[in-house]
Amino acid sequence: MRRLWLLLAGMNVVMMAGLRASDAQVRGTIFGPGARSYPIAISPLRNLSGSSVAGDFGTQFADIVSADLNLSGFFKILDRAAYIEKPETSGYTADNINFDNWSVIGALALAKGAYSVSGDNVTAEVRLFDVYQRRQLAGVRYHGSLGELRRMANKFADEIMKQFTGERGPFDTRFAFVSTRDGKFKDVYVMSPDGGDLQQVTKTQTINVSPSWSPDSRLLLYTSYKGGNPNLYAIDLVSGRDVLISSRPGLNLGGRFSPDGSKIALTIEDKGNADIAIIDRGGDLLRRVTDSWAIDVSPTWSPDGRRLAFTSNRSGGPQIYVVGVDGGEPRRVTFTGTYNTSPAWSPKGDLIAYVSRADGGFNLFTVKVDGSDTRQLTQAAGNNEDPSWAPDNRYIVFSSSRTGRKKLFVTDLTGSSQVQLTRGGGDDSTPAWSRWLE
Amino acid sequence: MMAVRLRAVVALAALLVLVSMGCSAKKKGAAAGGAGGGLGEEGLGTGSSLERYKQGTLGTGEQGPLKDIHFAFDSADLDEQARTILRDNANWLKDHSKAKVEIEGHCDERGTVEYNLALGTKRAGAAKEYLVALGVPADRLTTISYGEELPLCHEHNEECWQQNRRVHFVVLGE
Repeated sequence: MRRLWLLLAGMNVVMMAGLRASDAQVRGTIFGPGARSYPIAISPLRNLSGSSVAGDFGTQFADIVSADLNLSGFFKILDRAAYIEKPETSGYTADNINFDNWSVIGALALAKGAYSVSGDNVTAEVRLFDVYQRRQLAGVRYHGSLGELRRMANKFADEIMKQFTGERGPFDTRFAFVSTRDGKFKDVYVMSPDGGDLQQVTKTQTINVSPSWSPDSRLLLYTSYKGGNPNLYAIDLVSGRDVLISSRPGLNLGGRFSPDGSKIALTIEDKGNADIAIIDRGGDLLRRVTDSWAIDVSPTWSPDGRRLAFTSNRSGGPQIYVVGVDGGEPRRVTFTGTYNTSPAWSPKGDLIAYVSRADGGFNLFTVKVDGSDTRQLTQAAGNNEDPSWAPDNRYIVFSSSRTGRKKLFVTDLTGSSQVQLTRGGGDDSTPAWSRWLE
Repeated sequence: MMAVRLRAVVALAALLVLVSMGCSAKKKGAAAGGAGGGLGEEGLGTGSSLERYKQGTLGTGEQGPLKDIHFAFDSADLDEQARTILRDNANWLKDHSKAKVEIEGHCDERGTVEYNLALGTKRAGAAKEYLVALGVPADRLTTISYGEELPLCHEHNEECWQQNRRVHFVVLGE
């Protein structure tokens, strides 16, 4: 297994000017995740190294930040061709920027910065400005290796989100998913939220399903048929070490780490039927959570680690239930629709996202944990399945067949901003959004 | 009686050899569990659906001695047609008393991957339970679910889905 590039350490981040989120001024503009209305210019960073060794670092940085902010649905990213100030010749601090050059093209916010390269190391200073007030809202200095470009840009996009919404964005993270893009087998891949840095994790010439992250975003659990039986494995993305966790006869499916990372909930098979169990990280059984004649599958932890939501057909068709981790009588959560599956408990604990067979296909819904306030996020466009929450509780990544083959999309919680993330051949499905990478 | 038992031991030993050769045999593309594993002979439709998918032969060629049974959407109930086929399959298994069978549960593409893997388990389990009730020893029958992962037919319509909602029987050795 080749070593996978995952950067968890070494990058140095310095906040240059502490400014309150409320300082960002939003004037006369509808501001919300679906509005896609707040005009922002993301200028390529200026190269101060005096050499072209760094390649397109400054442009790539701006590309990644733009892709992230486009996913957010809050911003209108202004076309770079319209920028009057050229990055290689203009200033990048509040004193040296001609803000008229940005207001005239309609920008209310501006990201600018510079970087210098020394060997494999890069230092980047990036700032966010309020164009109307002609002042800096935030500034960050990043120091790290050139290979950490993507994380620096994702972190800055998170910072921009924090300045304008009061909450950090969800972009310094990764997606895991399965794809048939490499041929006929489902293999596990990881990718940055901006769509870049795609890496193939498994290449086993067999079926691999249901990847999910450890809380520290270092391990991926997945179920593979590479040993014949559908067994649960954990692969370490830093070392490449792949460990068999559970190989009970029959299903060892859909493993999900508990929020503290100490346990794994999964679906096992007993007497020809699927039930929910909790095992330790070594695979030893801690307890059975369900033991019914019905199908019980797809556990998802509440953020406090005390409850699990899961799919069960104990009332006929599949519905979403919640049960304490110590067992007991499960409580049904979904009452609308006859086929509800794939529960995903939100990071803040308030909502469960799920998939319902509705409107002639499969669509994403959310419901409060008490069963109230059912909301439909997708409709009338292919099958929309496999929801997974962003760590900031504001976005859901999912798979959709609306353009033909299954591709990954990101939606906000109203469904008004739905952005396509993957393209090309093959089917991409069952995405899992990691926590923040620190 | 002794001769029969001896022959069974020899057959078992041969099977173990085949199983131990499984890894290299798979790499050569021979049907795993097929009659001639190490010789590179193709088992006539007797490989698992996963092996046949790897070989690109899933959905083509011969069915094998045991017929598939089919299901309604989101159901593991055995209808009258399925029960009739299972009775025929049970009779074949009684006539071939050394045959072991892997029972594969499959689903159509609709619905989610994990639920369909669980549903496939239920379908395979229902078929096994019925065969056992008909007198086939349970220790000759194993089950595995492939959920919606190995469709025979790839179009998005009921005719296709109906073919994919199946339990398939793989004879592992006679």
